Amino acid sequence: MKTEDLISSLAADTAPSPAIAVETRLPGLLVLGLMVTALSFALVLGPRPDLATALANPMVLAKTLLPLLLAALALPLVLRDARPGARYGLPGTLIWAVPLAVLGLVVLAFLTVDPAERLRLFIGHSIPVCLPAITLLSLPMLAGLLVSLRRGAPVNPSRCGALAGLVAAGFATAIYSTFCIEDSPLFYGIWYSAGIGIATGLGALAGRHLLKW
Amino acid sequence: MNDRNALWGDLLRRGNAGDGAAYARFLTAALPVLRNIARARLSGGTAEEVEDVVQEALLAIHAKRHTWRETEPVTPWLYAIARYKCADAARRRRARGGHGGADVPIEDLAEVLPDEALGEITAARDLGQLLDRIDTRAADIVRSVGVAGESAGEVGARLGMTEGAVRVAYHRAMQRLKALADETNMQPGRDPDRQQLTGQEAETAVGRRR
Repeated sequence: MKTEDLISSLAADTAPSPAIAVETRLPGLLVLGLMVTALSFALVLGPRPDLATALANPMVLAKTLLPLLLAALALPLVLRDARPGARYGLPGTLIWAVPLAVLGLVVLAFLTVDPAERLRLFIGHSIPVCLPAITLLSLPMLAGLLVSLRRGAPVNPSRCGALAGLVAAGFATAIYSTFCIEDSPLFYGIWYSAGIGIATGLGALAGRHLLKW
Repeated sequence: MNDRNALWGDLLRRGNAGDGAAYARFLTAALPVLRNIARARLSGGTAEEVEDVVQEALLAIHAKRHTWRETEPVTPWLYAIARYKCADAARRRRARGGHGGADVPIEDLAEVLPDEALGEITAARDLGQLLDRIDTRAADIVRSVGVAGESAGEVGARLGMTEGAVRVAYHRAMQRLKALADETNMQPGRDPDRQQLTGQEAETAVGRRR
């Protein structure tokens, strides 16, 4: 077919595009995923008994708030990434504050705790729960995000999937942190980040296959 | 550049609102730029390969026209789609082993006929088998237009689609079949997700006019 003929054919097909915008579809599916995650969490793990008092400690509050902030900042990025040529803008800069804050907390904890305690706090006792829990709790939201992102047109499907993983992992980690009683940044700063990294990597792999167009 | 954004943005805005003439002007105005991008990105590609990618980019622009936000400049959006489709094509070409290819006379540039592509596909693999792997309506259109030789108008009348929509669907199906034939030749295992996605896209293009 001649390219000029193709253009005429496309121009003859200008009924409004039936595709629903990603922005319209994404919130519902994300909330659905969040509900599945919250329900699974409540059934299997549940919050720690001393949650209210523990959250009065800023070091403990940070392990819930920082992943929440990460998710809130990654969400506009994933939406922008689904549109060709869009820029990340302010959230793209602000999101770096989260890893910097985590690094700051880890360094602070490293310097302030008794050197003999460092290794014990870092290893903790729940790595085999923490990593799989964060990954698994991310999956329902990651699935919801990926389904809605298929309406978009990400020019880098792996990156878009990774950002979706970051959103899902941020929320999942915030929820998981209310169960976890390891309150030293030497533990959560490292192992939560590792769990978020795993979920983000899964998102990139899934995006690479599912978000191609 | 800003003039171009203002003019093209206005045309695409009107096109997205249903003004076919403005939309045709937008695509026609973008065409030389798309060709330049494709030529630059597929260095060493034959004229036919370049034109194939240009057509894929046009189809992608059409299928994803709802992802342009009217408040944003249109050229970054347009070029990003073109670059994405070029990268895709370049990857496929490398995977095929990037044959050097004979030089194609310039007259061929405008005449990249789908029947030639059909020949390639039938030679590559049993066409029937490939047709089973795309969605049924697209397969029907390929059988009617490509094999039985019906005109796009006749097929459209039968399926309740405009002639233009049939041609778009046919072109899309051919691209898909070509890709399937390449995949099948390269490796027997295939990627069902990719296939489903493209089937769905073809469905949107085909179904819209009904």
